[in-house]
Amino acid sequence: MELLAFGDTGYGDELFFGALTTIQLAVFGYVLALALGLVFAVLALKGKGPRWWLFRVYASIFTGVPSLLIIFLFYFGGAELVRSLLAPIGINVRLDVSPFTAGVAALGLVYAAYLGDLIRSAIINVPRGQFEACEALSVPRRHMWLSVVLPQAFRIALPGLVNTWIVLLKDTALVSLAGLNDLIANAKVAAGSTKEPFVFFTAALLFFVVIATVTLPLVNRVARRLERGQRRAEV
Amino acid sequence: MRFDPVLAWGSMPALLDGALMTLLVTFTVMAVGGPLGLAVSFARMSRRRPLAWFGAAYVSVCRGAPSLILLYLIYNGLAQLDIVRDGPLWFLFQHAFFCVVIAFSLNHSGYIVEIMRGGMEAVPAGLLEAGASLGLSPRQVLWKIRIPIAIRYGLKAYQNEAMLFMKSTAAVSAVTLTDLTAAANEIFYMTYDPFTPIITAGAIYWVINNAMRIGFGLLERRLNRHLGLA
Repeated sequence: MELLAFGDTGYGDELFFGALTTIQLAVFGYVLALALGLVFAVLALKGKGPRWWLFRVYASIFTGVPSLLIIFLFYFGGAELVRSLLAPIGINVRLDVSPFTAGVAALGLVYAAYLGDLIRSAIINVPRGQFEACEALSVPRRHMWLSVVLPQAFRIALPGLVNTWIVLLKDTALVSLAGLNDLIANAKVAAGSTKEPFVFFTAALLFFVVIATVTLPLVNRVARRLERGQRRAEV
Repeated sequence: MRFDPVLAWGSMPALLDGALMTLLVTFTVMAVGGPLGLAVSFARMSRRRPLAWFGAAYVSVCRGAPSLILLYLIYNGLAQLDIVRDGPLWFLFQHAFFCVVIAFSLNHSGYIVEIMRGGMEAVPAGLLEAGASLGLSPRQVLWKIRIPIAIRYGLKAYQNEAMLFMKSTAAVSAVTLTDLTAAANEIFYMTYDPFTPIITAGAIYWVINNAMRIGFGLLERRLNRHLGLA
């Protein structure tokens, strides 16, 4: 147990700060994915238009390739990628891409493809009458989206959103392969220097399992709150 | 950003070798994880408390943990335990490929347990009762009616999981196996071209991914041909 103690004697603090990095990475990546996914969903809402096709191509690329490969692409080539994107508009930047930034960008872009699809189909599944009612009452478009459509779409999309969060959280483990000092990297260092790999990898494993397990009751609460306007069938 | 077609063509043999390893890992794990998942799903649905509890724990650990950690745990972690090191199977645990198959099979089967359970519970009771009333034994009802129908119900979910898991095998490079991602990485370290090898490898993954999608589509059509759809 003293191996997991905080301070100089154990690796508890290293693991703790590693876990914080992991959570930060997951949260930033998820927020980015959610924001992009929402934009994609709204832009590609009408099927069969050019914007819809563009989104399909984007989604096909980013869901057809392992996230690890995208992480490597951004980590190794991200600096040059940004430079060559900004050069045509006369901005000359030199930047170093840290593993953390590469990880957030990669996870954000990959999961934006999954979330875009998910949110799009949730919006489509909001009853048409809701849109028509807004039009009939001449509710401003901004209000229609923010107060009427999106809250209902959110309820429909919730199970998928939670699933994606858990998958994304697990994918953060891959960023350690690009050199990020997250939970897994620190567990690996601790395992190597103490020759007790079983202890540390089990601790890291439990961290992920516990987060995945506590997410569910939390989500059930949110789900119940979102369903407060719905009539439940009495079975 | 520059894509170098000459380098891409030149690195094809190495990348295709890597792709072969990716496919080998994928299909071996599907072959091991399928029966394993089916077996544990029986435990998960069992009326005996300890068995059901074991099934639930198995699912939450195998699905909740990143496959990379399971991989480290089995490849590096188990060596610490004397039972494993002195056991008869130790020579197997020294092989990266064996550890990869075990780790990914645990992960993959965790998903299969839930897919099969969902499928088996969704089989209409009337079908099972009809089978029993025709004089089939409980074993026959299970293998001839319940499981085939559950497989059909779960196929779509299994397709999603199999395609996600094929991509997640990219992590095997962490334990010295040279799969497609590792091959692309090696070319990067030799040439310092960050785009060409990774984009080429990505294209190969994309092809594998879509081939799997088409394959599952055909399988679905075949399994559902009695329904007369499309």
